[in-house]
Amino acid sequence: MSLLRLDEATIKFGGLVAVNSVSFELNQGDLFGLIGPNGAGKTTCFNLITGVYAPTSGMITFNGRNITGTPSNKIAKLGICRTFQNIRLYGSLSSLENVVVGGFLRHRTTLGSALCYLPGAIKETEQLKHQALELLKLVDLDDVANVRSKDLPYGKQRRLEIARAMATQPQLLLLDEPAAGMNPQEKMELLQMVKKIRDELGVTVLLIEHDMKFVMNLCERIFVLDHGEEIAQGPPSEIRNDPKVIAAYLGEAV
Amino acid sequence: MKFNFGKWAASRIGSILLAFAVCFLAQFMLRGATDYSRLLFSLAGLYVTLAVSLNLINGITGQFSIGHAAFYQIGAYTGALLASTVFKNMADAANPLWLPIAMVCGAIVSGLAGFIVGLPSLRLRGDYLAVVTLGIGEIVTIIAKNQKALGEAYGLSASKYPSTVFFVVLLAIITIAVCRNLLKTAHGLSFLAVREDEIASSAMGVNLTKTKVTAFVLGSAFAGAAGALYAHTKGFVSPTDFSMDASFLILTMVVLGGTGSITGTAIAAIVLFIVPEKMRDLPPSIAVATPVGVAIAIITSVVILKKIQDNFHGNPYKRLGMNLGVIAGGVVLAMIMGRLLVLIPTFQSTINGQLFRMPVLAVTLVVLMLLRPQGIFGHSEFSWSWVQKVLGKRPVQEVEVAA
Repeated sequence: MSLLRLDEATIKFGGLVAVNSVSFELNQGDLFGLIGPNGAGKTTCFNLITGVYAPTSGMITFNGRNITGTPSNKIAKLGICRTFQNIRLYGSLSSLENVVVGGFLRHRTTLGSALCYLPGAIKETEQLKHQALELLKLVDLDDVANVRSKDLPYGKQRRLEIARAMATQPQLLLLDEPAAGMNPQEKMELLQMVKKIRDELGVTVLLIEHDMKFVMNLCERIFVLDHGEEIAQGPPSEIRNDPKVIAAYLGEAV
Repeated sequence: MKFNFGKWAASRIGSILLAFAVCFLAQFMLRGATDYSRLLFSLAGLYVTLAVSLNLINGITGQFSIGHAAFYQIGAYTGALLASTVFKNMADAANPLWLPIAMVCGAIVSGLAGFIVGLPSLRLRGDYLAVVTLGIGEIVTIIAKNQKALGEAYGLSASKYPSTVFFVVLLAIITIAVCRNLLKTAHGLSFLAVREDEIASSAMGVNLTKTKVTAFVLGSAFAGAAGALYAHTKGFVSPTDFSMDASFLILTMVVLGGTGSITGTAIAAIVLFIVPEKMRDLPPSIAVATPVGVAIAIITSVVILKKIQDNFHGNPYKRLGMNLGVIAGGVVLAMIMGRLLVLIPTFQSTINGQLFRMPVLAVTLVVLMLLRPQGIFGHSEFSWSWVQKVLGKRPVQEVEVAA
């Protein structure tokens, strides 16, 4: 059964068509790659799925439910969470606190009990911290739990963003260029981590990435965008030899 | 750290008893004081409440509001109206229950006003929100100035039951406790997250509008309660008490203390209120040489302090020593310059010392922005583990990471 479905999703900013009737389907447990040259509309696609923008036309369905135009915070509650291309951590909060905020969306205690410091709110906070620490262990950051996130090195910030997104307990995880700025060693570790998230936690992953080696090794299916339009879709072996994809990336032979 | 109900209950009961003890102590210590010093103490306490409640909006949730006096005013007029219409007609003499009733009414009316104002305006960000809140401050003052029922420019009187120091301290403690409780729980982290990054918070499932409006309503409600007490403390409210100056004074307190830091804001509120008030006692005629000398000393020491800050990165204790040395040197320089400059005829003319009450805020802010832009406390809070760390008694565990 399809988990996420885009039906001819289109968004226009004035005269610019950023994403032009893009349709694809993600199944439960997929490792799906979204690639394309700069400015192809990949991040805009993410923004459509996570409700940052509402599509001009078309429909987005998640778990059989129409989520077109639903606000971001509600989409996060439904089970889609993302990371950002330009890291958006809560700079002056510690790593642990960053992840706690991610887990906060399923809170059950009321604000009143927090303001009065009632046992319910304290227990919930403890429990969220405990869960956050487990996630930090998953991304191998438990040693920097108390470090302010803006003091972390770049690669660790990227992993922290994934941990924060995982704290929302998503069914679908969107990673926007998770390997950007990482060295080959870090990329290998990230690859293992994303596989682990999919295999052990059963989370479907959709990712944008420019590093072809990384994408081809990791993803089982790839969708290629150029100028907001689909140019190819299929397993890595097909994409690698698709003349249109080669043309989009390298230019046509004269 | 496992949650322990017995420990929790004991610490809660202990804190509540301690809070009441502090309130009674304040009341007891000021029983023989003059009306003036009692008024100063009460106003300082109210400013702590105002600054900490604005800190909840500005510092913790990151919504730049510069019209906090509007909600203070709404609370004050609610308290005054209540006193002049309802309490006045009651047959019996002053009832001690009136004050808490006035506080709660002020908080409700002000919180409601905060909700009505906040819902549309909190969709704006940064500068735009600042301009809207500034406008609201003016609108409320102008309405009060022109409504017959609100006494127009004369204001309202509310002297049936004068406020007590007890309730002023109690309100300040409640405000601080509520903000501290919020920051200790995951709910508080979601407020901080909104301050840090709105787009990321929204993607993490935090309801931005709800969080911002909640912070705004809570902050306004505390300001309203403080207003109601103000009406009863002074026995009189007039529109001029709540001008833009008051809003900016509260904002300055938050900035000086460190946006987001409850401890810093509370301390800054007391300092920034008491210092200008105490400067009223300066002699009515002093030689111009003195302020000029002080100004030269301040400029010199700030320049040197800035140089130390930028160029010396060694032992922090040595650095502290150097800084203290520069400050002491500055005091000496001020005295020497004052004495020397008097010898020049131009500087012998006299000036009213009270005039220097006004530039204090400006000078404080300029010095602050140069030397410590994050505020005295920055984002940090006072905590006992910090004291122990400074005294070197025990290694500190910041967050109990062990489950």
